[in-house]
Amino acid sequence: MSTALIKLDNIEKIFYTEEVETHALSNISLTIDKGEYVSISGPSGCGKSTLLSLLGLLDTNTSGKYNLANHDVSDISKSERARIRNMEIGFIFQSFNLISDLNVEENVDLPLSYRKDLSKNQRQALVQDALAKVDMSHRSKHFPSQLSGGQQQRVAVARAIAGNPSIILADEPTGNLDSKNAQAVMDLLDKLHSEGATICMVTHDPRSAEKAHRNITILDGQVISDQLNTIHDQQSLVG
Amino acid sequence: MIIQDFNYALRLLAKKPGFTALTTLVMAAGIGLSVYMFSFFNTIIYKDLPFQDGDSLVLVSSSQNGKRESNGINLLDYAEVRSSVSGLSEFGAYQNASVNVSGRDGARRYKAIYTEANIFAITRTKATVGGGFSPTDNLIGAEPVTVIGYNMWQNQFGGEPNVIGQSLPINGSSHRIIGVMPQGYLFPNNTQLWLPLKVDYGQITRESAQIAHGIAHIHDSSTLAQVNQQLQVVMQRLELKHPDTNNGISAYIDSIPGSREGEAYSVIYSMHIVAVLILLLASINVGNLLLSRAVERGKETAIRVALGAPRSRLISQMLWESIIICSFGGLIGLLVLAWGLTITQSIVATFFVDPPSFWWTFGVDAYTMKLFFTILISTILVTGLLPAWKNSGGDFNSVLRDGTRGALGKKAGRLNRILVISEIFISVTVLIAAGVMVVAAYMQSNEDIGADIQNTLIAKILLSDDNYVSGEKKVQFAQTLQTSLAKGVGIEDVMISSALPGDWSRRTKFLLAGKEYTKDNNTSYPRANYIAIMPGALGTLGVELKQGRYFDSSDSGLEKKTALVSENFTKLHYPNESPIGKQLRLSDDDPADWITIVGVVENTIQGSREDKHIPTIFRPFTQDPRQQLTVAMHMSADVAKVTDTLRQTLMSIDPQLPSFQIETYEQNNARFTAPIQFVSSLVALFALAALVLAASGIYGVMANTISQRTQEIGIKRALGASEKTITREFMITGFTQFLIGGIPGLLAGCTMGFAMSQIFGTSNLAVFIIAFIMTFLIGAVVMLATYLPTRAALSMEPSEALHYE
Ligand SMILES: Nc1ncnc2c1ncn2[C@@H]1O[C@H](COP(=O)(O)OP(=O)(O)OP(=O)(O)O)[C@@H](O)[C@H]1O
Ligand SMILES: [Mg+2]
Repeated sequence: MSTALIKLDNIEKIFYTEEVETHALSNISLTIDKGEYVSISGPSGCGKSTLLSLLGLLDTNTSGKYNLANHDVSDISKSERARIRNMEIGFIFQSFNLISDLNVEENVDLPLSYRKDLSKNQRQALVQDALAKVDMSHRSKHFPSQLSGGQQQRVAVARAIAGNPSIILADEPTGNLDSKNAQAVMDLLDKLHSEGATICMVTHDPRSAEKAHRNITILDGQVISDQLNTIHDQQSLVG
Repeated sequence: MIIQDFNYALRLLAKKPGFTALTTLVMAAGIGLSVYMFSFFNTIIYKDLPFQDGDSLVLVSSSQNGKRESNGINLLDYAEVRSSVSGLSEFGAYQNASVNVSGRDGARRYKAIYTEANIFAITRTKATVGGGFSPTDNLIGAEPVTVIGYNMWQNQFGGEPNVIGQSLPINGSSHRIIGVMPQGYLFPNNTQLWLPLKVDYGQITRESAQIAHGIAHIHDSSTLAQVNQQLQVVMQRLELKHPDTNNGISAYIDSIPGSREGEAYSVIYSMHIVAVLILLLASINVGNLLLSRAVERGKETAIRVALGAPRSRLISQMLWESIIICSFGGLIGLLVLAWGLTITQSIVATFFVDPPSFWWTFGVDAYTMKLFFTILISTILVTGLLPAWKNSGGDFNSVLRDGTRGALGKKAGRLNRILVISEIFISVTVLIAAGVMVVAAYMQSNEDIGADIQNTLIAKILLSDDNYVSGEKKVQFAQTLQTSLAKGVGIEDVMISSALPGDWSRRTKFLLAGKEYTKDNNTSYPRANYIAIMPGALGTLGVELKQGRYFDSSDSGLEKKTALVSENFTKLHYPNESPIGKQLRLSDDDPADWITIVGVVENTIQGSREDKHIPTIFRPFTQDPRQQLTVAMHMSADVAKVTDTLRQTLMSIDPQLPSFQIETYEQNNARFTAPIQFVSSLVALFALAALVLAASGIYGVMANTISQRTQEIGIKRALGASEKTITREFMITGFTQFLIGGIPGLLAGCTMGFAMSQIFGTSNLAVFIIAFIMTFLIGAVVMLATYLPTRAALSMEPSEALHYE
């Protein structure tokens, strides 16, 4: 049984720059249930990244209502938002965004280090666990600059999942990778999903979108299509 | 090719006029301030004398228990030195003196020296008219002759050549003029008259021998240290042979300008260090500004390298920027510096009654120019090589494909830390040293000298003429002057003293009755200021009575022996009993001449404010008359009126007697602290410059570092770091850098502070408090410089920070 994890009501996002208003998102209403694997696609500049930022509490919506796990998060404090990002959300970026001064282990430990409920040993265990899942344990002492792009992204995935977040948000996670490495990362997301993770992934690669079970398409800041992926029809929205 | 790089650098600078103006001004401030400081001290301390071989001229002086005293050497000791020290030649000796010269328009006072005949040969200067002395002039009983200075020749004799052979009344006795020295010759110290020093070596004993300044040329092959070593050996031999007189006495040589810095070494060294640090601070700032531009252009540079530009071209371009900025800034600095030195000349003139030492001409001289170019080249290297080092060693490939974030690059990050830490170190050091200096100046100027100085006019009179030789005559003069002046227009009270509180006075060694002093150790006698003052004057001056009584008419009489002492005298010598009725005598007086203490007055400071701990003994002028006297008058009319009254009164008593140095008591007092106030304002200016440079520099580097880490901040926030976590992380980094730079800075600053406090008498506690405040100040600057850019970076939404370039 699925429950609504994310519920957007008439979300609008306007950027004000030098007297120009950019309506990045308008009238978005959307529900994403726990355990769903959603792809978001659309032409460049349509608002995909903006939507993902709002979902991940990296930015605030101009108007509308955002319920995350039955809590209204449109109007909560900055520190509360930080806490939710830390505990509930894992990010994967197109450009990996590892911290170059930290080694692989420390990068993965970074979100855990912001939590107060974990002991050093617990954190250590979670880090090793996550690295094992992405098959990067053997590189735990390396620095990002010593890794290939695919390896860096696998470490980024490990960092996103280390704290067992309820949602994984990925913005074109394979955009900077060759097809072989891209395939490896997609397989990883697949595996995570099969283990119960909720995933929202921005992509404009149709082959990546195919992996998702629900495809949302955006045009000019509005959802123009939202359909279940027929290839995976054995797992429906109300599965 | 070089021209091309120069043009390119020029174009880059022109494109950012704000940046160019800022860096140029910083460089101008750094170069101008530090060269000024060096030039200033060079002029007053190290500048060679303005005649041939002036640089090899040294002064021979004595030291007591290792403490260098600049008041000359016993002539018999000096005779020994002459015969046994190698490495020196052309020995001479002279004594400073003030003499009264009567001319057609009344009497005047001149600076003179009594000297051995060879003084003009030693200084490689011949008389313009007539000649110099011959050795026979130095014999006892020889005809009194004199050589006069150019100014006196012009003013008193109209520059006429027939001055030779004319007679000049000096201190009441006639001297034949045998020569005129050329214009500008004022050796040794603004001297206008040269007289033969008359010594009968057959007659004098070690006890009675005069003290004189020894002077000689040091050989090129010898160093000051080598000769000083020999001097010690000679003097030790004398010490063994004559323990009564020579115990603890040694001798040393020093270059003549150098002999003036005396005890103030640590202050002067500190000031030089401060000057170097300011320059370093300015260079670091400019270097960093150029560096951050180089970083901005990092990608462009990487692309150029990838396209095959040779590294030397890139470095040449960056060096050109430094050369242009430093040269232009240096030029501005030099102009301001030249102006500053001109002003200094007039300011320094106010520190002294007489014109300052004649070689003290402040200005852009050869030394200053040499220093300027040396400094210019070093600043170009420091500021130019910093960015060049960063960029040329860089792995351009990694710059191009850098995919990771927080992409400051390890090397640039380390360099930024080093810059911040050095700026912290330097500014803490400079601020502490400057703080101690400023506080010392403030405390000295507000020191209680013991007397009230408002609304008082003072003048000095020197009773050097032959008709004032006897004590009775001197007392009679003082009494007549006092009663006549008291009746004069515009004068309320008259106070006559050998030296007023605050002013230099005679110092003496004395013995207390009933105390044991080691016979063979003449250094064990205590010292005190020794002042003769007319009865009634202490009370009128406002020097409060603490015990016993003031002097009164019962104290008058040359055969009577009474004294007043200061409170610190009592504290030092009679801590647990009353000094009233106790007796003392001067160490060089008749052993039977015991003087009885009849009262205690408040402390006075005589001369240098650093000597405030030296106690004072007052004697009635009517018992112990002196040659030199100062008359102070409370005024009920304006200065001009009172001056007029004084002149007329003096004229009516003795037309041959000049008064000199007429000024208000306040002016006289201010002169004692004017030099330290000047140096301290100079230092305050340096401190301000250091603070501004350091604050802007630290802020610049911090803001740069943090802004370059904006993306990293975005990532961390995406991963759930709260603003507090990130702020704390940056603040801890800032604080760590503050500690790494601040603690050594604190130590260095305290070292200089303590060294200076030794001289100024500032308490250790004051140094600690200053050090603490200054360190705290820089700490606050660092924390603010960290906090503000962090806040700015955090004010962005995380999504925005993630995409920040
Ligand atoms: N911080 C910002 N300030 C102003 N406008 C912005 C900002 N961020 C995004 N925009 C604008 O909002 C619109 C949506 O941008 P967004 O980044 O969401 O597009 P996207 O769909 O992710 O495109 P792409 O596929 O190229 O990544 C664009 O027109 C963009 O210019
Ligand atoms: Mg996007």
